[in-house]
Formats: sequence, structure tokens, C-alpha cells
Amino acid sequence: MSEHLPNTNYLEPEMLQKLDDLELIAREAVEGLRSGSHCSTLRGFSTEFAHHRQYSPGDAIRDLDWRLYGRTDRYYTKLYEAETNFDCHLLLDSSASMTYASSRVSKLEYAKYLAASLAYMVLKQRDSVGLSVFDSKVRAYSPPRSSMGIILEIDRLLRQTHAASKSSIAQQLYDTAILMKRRSMVILISDLFADTEDILRGLDHLRFAGHNVIVFHMLDPYELEFPFKGAWRFEGLEEEEPLTTQPERIREGYLKSFNSYLDNLRAGCIASNVDYTLVDTSVPLDAVLGEFMDRRASAFAGALAGARQ
Amino acid sequence: MTFMNPLLLIGALGIALPILAHLLNRHKFKQTDWAAMQFLNRSVRVRSRHLRLRDLLLLLVRCLAIGCLVFALARPATNNTNGSWFPGENRTGVIIALDASYSMSHSNGSATRFERAIELVGNISEHSQSGDPVSLVLLGGEHRVVLRNVAYDRARFIEALEELEASPESLDLDSVPKQLQTLAEDMDAIQKEVYIVSDMQTQDWGKVSAELHGGLKELGEHLSVFVVPVSGGDENLAVTGLDLVSGELRKGSVARYRTTVRNCGSSLASNIDVQCRVEGVQIDRKTIPVIAAGASETVSLFVPFYDAGPTRITAEIAGDALSTDNVRRAVAVVRDRVSVLCLDGSSGDAGRLVRAALMARADGGEDKDYVVRTVQWPSFPTQDLEQADVVILADVPEITADQARQLSRFVRMGNGLVWFAGEQIKIDSWNKLSGMGPNKLLPASLRSVVDTSDSQGTGKPLDPSLPDHAVCRPLQSLPEDLLNETRLLKRIAVEPANSSFSLLNLAGSHSPVLLEHSLGRGHVFMFTTSAQASWNNMALTPVFPMLMQQIVTYLAGREFEPPRVVGDPLSLSYVDQPDATDAVFDTPSDQTIIVPVRKHRNQYVALLDKSREAGFYVARVSVQSPGMPVAVNVETRESNVSCLAAAEIKESLKGTGITVSATEADLAAAIETARTARSSWRFFMLTGLALLIFESLLADRMLGRSRGAQSKTDPASQQAEVV
Repeated sequence: MSEHLPNTNYLEPEMLQKLDDLELIAREAVEGLRSGSHCSTLRGFSTEFAHHRQYSPGDAIRDLDWRLYGRTDRYYTKLYEAETNFDCHLLLDSSASMTYASSRVSKLEYAKYLAASLAYMVLKQRDSVGLSVFDSKVRAYSPPRSSMGIILEIDRLLRQTHAASKSSIAQQLYDTAILMKRRSMVILISDLFADTEDILRGLDHLRFAGHNVIVFHMLDPYELEFPFKGAWRFEGLEEEEPLTTQPERIREGYLKSFNSYLDNLRAGCIASNVDYTLVDTSVPLDAVLGEFMDRRASAFAGALAGARQ
Repeated sequence: MTFMNPLLLIGALGIALPILAHLLNRHKFKQTDWAAMQFLNRSVRVRSRHLRLRDLLLLLVRCLAIGCLVFALARPATNNTNGSWFPGENRTGVIIALDASYSMSHSNGSATRFERAIELVGNISEHSQSGDPVSLVLLGGEHRVVLRNVAYDRARFIEALEELEASPESLDLDSVPKQLQTLAEDMDAIQKEVYIVSDMQTQDWGKVSAELHGGLKELGEHLSVFVVPVSGGDENLAVTGLDLVSGELRKGSVARYRTTVRNCGSSLASNIDVQCRVEGVQIDRKTIPVIAAGASETVSLFVPFYDAGPTRITAEIAGDALSTDNVRRAVAVVRDRVSVLCLDGSSGDAGRLVRAALMARADGGEDKDYVVRTVQWPSFPTQDLEQADVVILADVPEITADQARQLSRFVRMGNGLVWFAGEQIKIDSWNKLSGMGPNKLLPASLRSVVDTSDSQGTGKPLDPSLPDHAVCRPLQSLPEDLLNETRLLKRIAVEPANSSFSLLNLAGSHSPVLLEHSLGRGHVFMFTTSAQASWNNMALTPVFPMLMQQIVTYLAGREFEPPRVVGDPLSLSYVDQPDATDAVFDTPSDQTIIVPVRKHRNQYVALLDKSREAGFYVARVSVQSPGMPVAVNVETRESNVSCLAAAEIKESLKGTGITVSATEADLAAAIETARTARSSWRFFMLTGLALLIFESLLADRMLGRSRGAQSKTDPASQQAEVV
């Protein structure tokens, strides 16, 4: 597969080989113009029966279930599930805080690999994918398309992406919602170092618009464990005031507030029906994606079974 | 202040390490970019001045800790007189020399001197502290180091003391200073003390030799030397001898042994019961009515031999304060029969006289197991020598080379040869033949016939040059005028070989008449005069039968008949090269010692360097072969157990610088005064360790280390690479 994409930087052959075995299945059906492997929320022209609905004026006469009428003397319209394509919007945070790296790979680099991988997977399903790179404002944008050429465009945008300034995630989520003409899948890749309430409000906004929202929360292992010893000077990446301190003394407080922040974020996402995934940049990308897809598949299988009962 | 290990002070350079680390890290923060700034507690800030003070304090503590540890390892020591203010504890190396000669086994009724000495050593050791170097040596004929420069541990030391026991050896006092000096040189201690715990026997310490005095003086100049006497009474009876006097060591015969009992005490001893045992069975018993102080008495013990083979004989007394010297042992090799072959080269007189001398009996009877055959010399080649125990060559003119080799082998197998001179002797022929091979057959080379008659033609009498030799011993019981009746008119002048010795000389000169030397496992006696009456009147006097019978008895014996003294080597010689490469010696305490067989002076010999026990050893040519018992007795010089009084000891050791501590109180006071060295290594070690703990706590507090963080792997170094 990679032979057809000779100039991509963020789709390593080994990575693509592993992604061939994966299947991205959205938890919820989205609208689509072309038939795909995803269930649409629109009941319509399809052979897959969903359920009955009482007839109301304006419904197509051909959808009436005459057999049911014969048994019950009531008009019911048959509703069908249609398999359709969807638009996937990748939102990549390129703020300065994403450049932190305790080892060779920064959060931003990792996020670029993750975005490219996801884009490729979506394209393989014959769905449309687009990319939006932002910090305090949108730095690059590519609308969703389903042709394979979009992957080269995304790769180019990713290569041109450099961290610049502070991010305003909530604002960017609002702006993205405006750009999307129909219900889509929105994948946010960010370290989410902003006000938790603002972030959750932005995510809620997307959810209210009917979008399926997935959040990949990028964190470095040092941010999770804070294992520093001795005297350290911490230089803020987003123009915060530097701090010279003894990390051993503040470690306990740091972990407490950091875990509280993570708990709040996770609980807010669950409440808003947002799929939240914490990504530790020390964990290999294929493992992260594999685990994510397994979790999605099992959750969707459960939801589908419930709907058919 | 001095240091026991001054070279280790080089370790003080290690102080440079924390200083270097401090200089390298001075004013340096580790720096990193950080994204999650909003989660850092900004109230905990570090200012560089704080860090500098903290680092300096930690640096100081670390340097002090290293310095203290280096000091401790270098083992500093001070002397009370110039540094008593300095922390430390009294330390010294102790060398204890414990007299373990058998006089220490003398009992006062409740305990032996050795047991009391052990108790004293225990008291001395109470002044030592755990870890002090200690050496313990048992003094005897050969000094035995029990502990050499070991760290003192009271329980183990007492355990080692309980296993000690006195040896049957006598004390070799002259070598004691050298032994102690060697132990002192091996010892690594600030101050060294030497304790000599002994019964201070009068015979050893009463008149100290110049060499010993010099050695003790040199010892006293460098070390603190204490003599701790163990007093005791002087009453002691010792069996000092058990010797065969007369008789034959032959089955069915009776031999007379003489045992000597000495009263080593200062008072009269009476009714001393002497028992004679053969193979553990009492066969004779005599009572000595009285022995004056310092005197010896002898009694005769008659030993009948009912069985052939090696026989263990003991003479012992009982009821004595020192039991070690109450027994005297001997071994008799008893034969089934004794056969003597006399080859007569004279006209017949010599053979007849020799036979008459050997067959002479007090009861006049004959014995079928005592055979004396006389043949004329020319029939020698047809005679089977293996049938005989002793061969007598009387005036044999000459022998062939084959006959010489045959005779040599005969003797080396453990038999005896007696050679008489005479008119027929061809001197050149004998010199040529007896000189063949590495081992000469005869003990001397012949020169010429010498006339020893005086102006009146009466000749010269005999004079025993070794009166204690088994052959000469019966002559002691002869009246002097009877011995003087024996006159020699002629003899052959000889040149004795180095290995030979003379038993009888011509009176008034050193001209040998009877010589002996050993050849292999047997012996050769050589008379330089004739057996017949032409050259002397010896054959016509009682001296001749006594001499001849004693010689035959002596030659019919075996090599281990003469008893040994504790400390003597024991040897086992072989006729030919043995099949087994090792000989075996069983000790009286039933231990087995394997000794390799070595070639020595063209003979094969197994030599046990030292006999360390009194009793009967058993020598065997191999593990399976029958054994030959060897009697080993104690050296009776040690039996004089009288001790010096404290004042006499001081007088005797005057000028040596040695302290004599007669009582335990004296000893404790002397130790208190003499022990001045103080060791401070423990103080420095504890201080160093305490500083290290303090540094750890201080660093924890200053750096805010938490236990959780310490249990994790340290990523800081990785982070430094990132930074």
C-alpha cells in the first residue's frame, strides 16, 4: 500500500502494514453520500430493516407495511438502516506545549504520526478525511475528501506544521463546528493544557451539532510521573514564568492536581458521550491504535446488538 | 598519635571527590522546558544562596565522614601519657605462652598445674577486648602455636583453652624467646604483651643460660613480658629405666630386666611398689623399701617369654602426683629358637670355645631351641645361612666375593654377624672383600697384628667404653678384679669406619677390641682379637660367655628393641626396595600416620620425624602387614618438678625487664600499669557512620526526597541528557 504513497513522512511502511489489519468503525452512525461500511442515522433507501414507525402525513406511501396493517388495522411505515460514508475531521493541536519531549519524540511529533495513521485508515474505508491544524487560530485546513490524493495533502500539511504559540482549544472547536456542513466524526488530538471547562464546553458544542467526537489526549510520561530530582529550572513553553524548584518537594502536589485534572476531563467526556483516549507518548503508536480500535469495535458491537433487540 | 595502617591514610585523598563534585555542580541548575506549568506549585522556590549554603553544609558533612572513615581504617592509636583526653579504648595484642611440658601434669591433689595454668590464662584473657589480636602457644620440646594473631573472641578463646592438654614432652626453654619474638613480629598491634605461664621448674629456670637470658632481655626491651608462675610441690617418683640385663629373648626362656626408680622430691619415699607387665598382664612385682630424696634405686624384674614375637614390657609405679613418668616401656622381640652357626677357620679351638661359651648355662642343662653349630671354614659354601640367626666367623682366613655378598645380605635382613681375628686371617683379602660395595661388611679396615703384651708378658685388660650398651651391661655386675683378669696379648690394629663405634677398648688406650656397626636391619660385631686362647685368655674367663651370650641375644633382636624418647624420630628400614611406597605408624592414641619410604644412604627407610606421644607405637611396612611395636618413653629430665619461688624467679630474671606476677592481684595491677595504648579506630568509625546517616537525613530534608520517589528508578540522569 505504501508503494502508492511514496512521499509520505508520517506513514511509515511498518505502521501501514499494521494498520491494514485494523478497521475503524464509528461508534455511532453518521450521514454519508456514498455507501460504506458505516450505519447511517438516516433511515431510508436500504434493504436493511430497522424498525416500524407510526405513519404520519407526508410519509411515502410505498414505505407503508401493508402486512402489519392487515394484522393491526393501523398504518406503520417501515424504516431501513442505510450504510453510508462519513466525513472525518482531524483536529491537530500545534501549540508550543505540544513540543515537550522527555525522550526523542515530542508530543507533536507523536500526534502527527497518529493523525496520519488515522487519516489513512479512514481513507482505506472509502470515507472522507480532512485535517485542521490549529494553535491560537487555524493554521492549516484541508476539507474532507475521499480520494487517495488527500493523504498526500495531509502529509504535506503535517510536515509544514510547526509549534508556534499558545492554543485556544475551545475557540477552535467552535470554529470547526461552523466549518462542518453535516454531521461528521471529529478527532481532536491535543495535550488539552487549557481550562477544562472551556474544553468540555467546546466538545459539548460539537456533540450538540450531532458530531461523533473522539479525543486523543497526548501526554508525555514525565508529565504523568514527574520523576525529577535535585534542583531544576522549569521553562514554560507557552510563555509562562519560569520556576526554579526542588521537584521532590512539589511532586506530590503536582501529581494530585494533575490527576484531578485528568479525572475531570475524563468524567466530562464520558458525560458528553465523547470517546476519550489518553495517549502516553512512551507507548508505541500501533499499540495505542490497536487498543483504541478494539475498544471501539467492542463498544459498537454492544450498541448494535441492543438496537436490534 | 600513631597509625597501625599509615598507608591507608592515602585514602584521605577521597575527600577530594565530594569537593570535586561540589565544584563541578556549583551554581548549576538542571534546566528543562515544561508544558504542564499550570500544575507546578510555585510557592516552593529555591534561591541560589540557599542552594549554596545547603551544598556547603552537605559538602562539609561528607568530607568529615570520609575523613573519619579513612582515619578509622588507618587505625589510629595514642598513648595514655600524652593523649588521655582523646576518645579511645585500651587495646593491646596479647601473646600467651603456656608451658605444656609434662611436669605441668603434676597434681596437688585437687588440680594439675596445667589446669590451674588454664584458669590463669582465662583470667589474663579477661583483660583483652573483642577484636584484640591474640596468639597462644604451647611450650614443650617443640612449641605448638594454637592461635596465631587471631581476633579475640572470648567464647572461642575459652573453647580453644578447654581443648588443650599437657604433652609428654620436656620443655625446650632456650628456644622460647625466639618463638615468642616470631609471634610478636607476626602480630599487628599497638602494644604487645607476652605472658609466660609456667611452673618455673628449678632445673630450667634456676640457672638461666646466658643465651636464654639474652633472648629474654631482648624480648623485654621491645615487649611487655610477664611471667606468671604456677606453683606446686616437688614430690615425684619417676621410673627412669627399664633395661634388659641378661637372658635370652627366646620363647620359653626368662630374661632379667632392670628398672630404675628415682625419687625426684625432697623427702624420703618408702614402700614403692613396682609392677612389671608383659602385654598388659602383670608378671612380676617388687617393692622398693626406701628411696632417699634425690636418689635412685633399681630392682630386677624377671620376664618369662611364653610366646614368640614382639612383646610389650612395662615397669610402672602407682600413687604418684605425676603419672606421666610412672611408666617405662620396652619391647622384646622373642624368637621361637635361636640358631648360631660358627665357621671355624682355626685348627678347631676357636669353634669349640665359642660353642662352649654360648652353651654355658647356670643349670648346666641343654636346650633344644638354642642351637649352636660349629663347622670348619672350608664347608661354608654349602651352608644355608637362612637357617641361622647369628653367624660367627672365627679366624676365617678369607672369603670369596660371593660369600661376602651372601653375608652382607644375611645381615641386612636383620641377622647378626660376629667376626673374630686370629692367626689365619689374611688381612689384605679381608680388606678387599669387606670394602666392596657401598656398605662395608666389617666395621673397620684391618691393618696389622699388634703385640699388646707388657714387659711381663701378661697383656692388657679390657675396658668397656660404652658401659650402658646392652652387650656391656652384664660386665658391670662382675667384680672388677675378675674383669681385669682378662688379658689381651695380641690384636689386629684397625681403622674404624665412620659408622662404627667401639664397645670394648684395651685398658689405658683407645685401641678397640670390640666394634659394632649396623648394616641394613642387622648388626656386625668385630673382635680385633682371637676367639681361641693364643692371643688372649678371654675365652678362659667368665667374661667370654657373658659377652658372647649377650651379643647373640642382642643380635637376635630387631631394630626397635632400644626404646625411644618422646620427640625422637622413628624409622623403619627395608632390605630391598619395598612394593608399598608408604609405611604406616600407629600411635599410642590409635591414630594412623602414613610415612613415605625414601632412599637414604643406599637403603630404603621410612622415617617418622617426631614421636609426640609416650607409649607403644606400631610400625608397619604397609597397612595390611603385621606391626612391630616401638616403645616410646618420656624424657625423665622433666621429672624433677620442684619449682622456683617468686623471689628466686625475680633473681633469676634480673636484668631482663620481665615482670614476675606471683599473684592474680599482682598480675591485674601490672597489666593495668603496663597497658597504655589506646585505640581510637572504633570512635572514628562510629563517627564516620553517624555522619553518613546525618548526611543522608540532611539531604533528604533539604532536597525533599520522598520514599516513593526513591523507590522508583532514577530518571534524572536520563533527563539531564534531554536537557
